[in-house]
Amino acid sequence: MVGWTGYFLRVNLTSKTWKKEAFSEEFAHKWVGGRGFAVKILFDEVRPGIDPLGPENKFIVALGPIAGIPAPNTGKAVVAAISPLTGFYGDGNLGTRVAEHLRKAGYDALIVEGKADHPTMLYIEDDKVEFLPADEVWGQGTYACNDWIYAKYGKGVGVLNIGQGGENMARFAVVRSLEGRAGGRPGVGAVMGSKLLKAVVVKGSRPIPQADPAAMKALGSGDLRKVGQIDKQSGWSIQSTTGVLPFCNEVAGLPVRNFRKTSHPDAWKVDGERCNNARVATYGCPTCTMRCGITVLDDEGRESELDYENVALLGPNLEIFDLPKVASLNYLCDEYGLDTMSAGCVLSFYADAIDHGATSGDFRFGDAKRAKELLGLAARREGPLGNLLADGSLRMARAFGHNSEAYAMQVKGLEVAAYNCKFIPGQALAFGVAAIGAHHREAWIITFEIKHTTRESYGPEKAAKVIELQRIRGGMFEFLVSCRFPWIENGWPLDNYPKYFNTVTGLDWSLDDMWRVADRIYAMIKLHYLRQFPQADRTGDYPPRVWFDPSNADTEGPIAGKFLEEDKYDGMLQHYYDQRGYDRRGIPTKATLLALGLAEEAAAVEKVAVLT
Amino acid sequence: MRLGPDMKIQIKIIGPLMYAAGFSEKEMDVPAGTTVDGLTVLIGIPKERPRIVTRNGAAVSPDGALAEGDKIAVSPIYSGG
Ligand code: SF4
Repeated sequence: MVGWTGYFLRVNLTSKTWKKEAFSEEFAHKWVGGRGFAVKILFDEVRPGIDPLGPENKFIVALGPIAGIPAPNTGKAVVAAISPLTGFYGDGNLGTRVAEHLRKAGYDALIVEGKADHPTMLYIEDDKVEFLPADEVWGQGTYACNDWIYAKYGKGVGVLNIGQGGENMARFAVVRSLEGRAGGRPGVGAVMGSKLLKAVVVKGSRPIPQADPAAMKALGSGDLRKVGQIDKQSGWSIQSTTGVLPFCNEVAGLPVRNFRKTSHPDAWKVDGERCNNARVATYGCPTCTMRCGITVLDDEGRESELDYENVALLGPNLEIFDLPKVASLNYLCDEYGLDTMSAGCVLSFYADAIDHGATSGDFRFGDAKRAKELLGLAARREGPLGNLLADGSLRMARAFGHNSEAYAMQVKGLEVAAYNCKFIPGQALAFGVAAIGAHHREAWIITFEIKHTTRESYGPEKAAKVIELQRIRGGMFEFLVSCRFPWIENGWPLDNYPKYFNTVTGLDWSLDDMWRVADRIYAMIKLHYLRQFPQADRTGDYPPRVWFDPSNADTEGPIAGKFLEEDKYDGMLQHYYDQRGYDRRGIPTKATLLALGLAEEAAAVEKVAVLT
Repeated sequence: MRLGPDMKIQIKIIGPLMYAAGFSEKEMDVPAGTTVDGLTVLIGIPKERPRIVTRNGAAVSPDGALAEGDKIAVSPIYSGG
């Protein structure tokens, strides 16, 4: 086997032991890496029904065959665990030097088990693993923790860490890396915190095994340059993802006031042009030549790194249109290690629930000062309110009652990313069937819907588009482990990725081979879901109910009077199931599982749930 | 094609296309009969730049004719991060 290191590093925090564990070529070819590795390891090793915040859960960092190799844009790692937010498999990716260093240390994945008896930092350097005390930084935010680590080891090491949100097990706490933002929206940072694992530091010094290193070096570095040039021509990274905000505002797809409204006349105050004008620095993941992070100063003079999701959900969604204030909320989320998207939805839901009399409280839309305090309460789980907020919007809704679950903006417990699908049926489907809950990472079809189909359609073409994009975005980019942006935003051709994979592994895979692995991973995540929730039905793949509510329709603008029609949505969902080979509950049929090589996993699931 | 007397439209340029056009938002007089594609050429966005054009929030085809009072937005083809 070439192209993989062939080893996992398994670390047990309870016993302070570790071992280097070989995996087979068959395993590598079946699961490839990243999300594929994580989904399989967690399926095999963590039994359903455990407390995700207990020692039986496992924290995984998984890389793929092109992760860490100079090529566009491979400085990414997948972090995963059983999610304390959704109850089943959860993951995310983030830019980090850990990608390169862990592979250079000789591992394609890190599996962390058990629970430390005091705050711990894991230090990995090739064949050395140390369990070091982190009491000094326990209770501190991710910036201070990162500085502490850099002061010890220098800036070149790979770092993953958590803030107070992870330490206190806020269910939407993320894993942070100052070399490239945050990942693991469904509470992967809380799982680190539950293990008293404050940080992972990695330094590797060996060459990453490759079939043809010289060819890969020539190909990868040349392509990195080309991707940089293409980006210069397109200008995408001038505003990067924040450029999409005025587009969403224009087509009635912006989340405003807990998604009650779809556009706002003041949205321009926090749009991509304003973000770029306020830029004080630019920020990017390792090896990237289209660095997309826009750093601005917040209202307290701190550097805050913006992208569209965090601006939209912490800005217009809370009816805050003052960029330094939005930046401040974003800074706090990053400092506490809270997911900016869930944080925005949790706060907007709280304000909306107060507005609708489902609960009482002193938070109103537009109140940035109180929003800052609430983030602190959630990150520290301070008092009953902090505890409530830290549990995420679905649990809040269940506590409030009064039918508030209808406007808790989440799917399967994971809060919706910043696209208001009040009348964007295909994107609503994309959120409904996103593998881990309402993430935008896996499929985004709004432009396709508006430009190439009728917005009103609930037809099979939209289901097909969602599947096509899931295979690429939630599949290939997540198991090779590479950033999707060169392709999605600058049109870097997709067939480059099998080329990188083949040059590294010596194999001869096509894109179709990639799609097969992607389909296998999607089926596996569904098996995780069914195993955890044996009574699961198709309503788990429905978007927030408020989008079906005629009384919630816009009263003016391009979608005035329109809303998602539930029976038509359900029909589109059935197209998705039919095209995927899933049954009426949205679970892969036995025939589909067998065709994907998942007989063993199907048999394991059949012990606790029904397959058809 | 003969173009008629000027009409007023509002135009908004989204994302990096605004740097090609040299502005992000303005009211413009354009000859009646101007098409969507004609407008984008008029404001200096090269034809080969991929884009989506919306009128009052709904997509319009490149050969669609503009009308007095249209609110036009020209955006790159974003893919949603
Ligand atoms: S495009 Fe952005 S997210 Fe992707 S690797 Fe570069 S900096 Fe990171």
